[in-house]
Amino acid sequence: MDINDFGLFSNPSLLILASLAGGEKHGYAMMEDIRVMTGVRLGAGTLYGAITRLEQSGLIESLPADERRRPYRLTAQGALLLRQTLSDLEKFAGLGLKRLAAT
Amino acid sequence: MIRRLRPWLTRLYPRAWRIRYEDEFTALLEQCLNSPLDVLDILLGAIDAHLLLLSGEPLNWRVMNMLNKIRTAVLIVFAAYIGFVVAGFALVGMADDSPMIALTKTNPSLTAAWVTIQTGATIGLLAVVIGGLPLAITVIRQALSDARRGLRLLLVPAFALLALVAYVMFVLAVGNGRIQLPGVERVIQPGTFPPGNRLLMAGLMATFVLGAIASTLAVWKVISRTDIEQETFRALKRSITVIIYRFAYWPAVVTTLAMFVMLVATVIWGTLAFASLPGVFAGNFGPWGTSTQVWFVGITLLMTLSTVAAFLGVIRARSSQRLPPP
Repeated sequence: MDINDFGLFSNPSLLILASLAGGEKHGYAMMEDIRVMTGVRLGAGTLYGAITRLEQSGLIESLPADERRRPYRLTAQGALLLRQTLSDLEKFAGLGLKRLAAT
Repeated sequence: MIRRLRPWLTRLYPRAWRIRYEDEFTALLEQCLNSPLDVLDILLGAIDAHLLLLSGEPLNWRVMNMLNKIRTAVLIVFAAYIGFVVAGFALVGMADDSPMIALTKTNPSLTAAWVTIQTGATIGLLAVVIGGLPLAITVIRQALSDARRGLRLLLVPAFALLALVAYVMFVLAVGNGRIQLPGVERVIQPGTFPPGNRLLMAGLMATFVLGAIASTLAVWKVISRTDIEQETFRALKRSITVIIYRFAYWPAVVTTLAMFVMLVATVIWGTLAFASLPGVFAGNFGPWGTSTQVWFVGITLLMTLSTVAAFLGVIRARSSQRLPPP
């Protein structure tokens, strides 16, 4: 059984933001980075669905294309949102671990 | 089998989405389209993209379409210029077969108007070449690297030129007697134009006009598929990055102004020439002995429509947010 089967890493947008926190990447590099980081393999449709929304929301921005592959990077707004989200997850994880320790 | 689905899968996405993401998405699919699950994921992604467009959320699709907007504007100016060139060739064809050229050489006002037309043509052509060069190199590079349908479309202007050259050589061969055609006279008596000769010259004009239309459509199609915004050129150990559509903006303005000046000069030239030679205007001094009036009105109409279209293109380009304020 894998925890991913229950949807822990089911938010592609968060995965993309976390991947781009490590530096600018194009679509395939993001896919591979996310697979290594979490074991989740995002499909191309899912990846670009999330990229579209993130770019339109100003959380990531595209850079000039290298031939046909276009890299993306986090914007300041995207980095702020990622930091807040990960802090919330950290608090949540700490609370969960405390509860587990108490049992 | 699944890989063959790639182009079809991409086309399931909305056009606005494809304008922005198609190339990079296709490049990604070349690396990771392996299983039916991948296909299903793309189908769902396409539905999601359509829903995103339909949702009316305050998404900045306008920014996404900005490249499309300025690209279309540049293409409008280019197509308008081709239309103007066709009209220009018709004007030269009409003037060459009439006494107006002799009059133009002796009348200073007519000379000035004719020189203005020639200067406008030179400036317009230079502006198109300068503005279109980075775009042409980018499109050719992409077509060569992709070996896609774009490459075949780029061959259309080459074939059109080849067909025109071949037809001109054929006409010359008929003219110097190497090829003999029934109903075609080698030497035409003044005031006559045999039906065979008329057909031969009509074929030449049709080859030119159809070639110009086909080439313009092919170039339009290829460029509208190219979503590269900037291109880096290396020359003399230096790299220059050109934002191609923004770069094309000012040459497009110059081309449009040149078209406007040529239109005004053509009207002045025609008005002065026909005032001096009313018999020519009322007669049949158009190509192949056709009505001068019809030709001149047709030429000025096509020039006017082309100039208006070019102005609309420039206005559209100027309204693009990516352009610097004037």
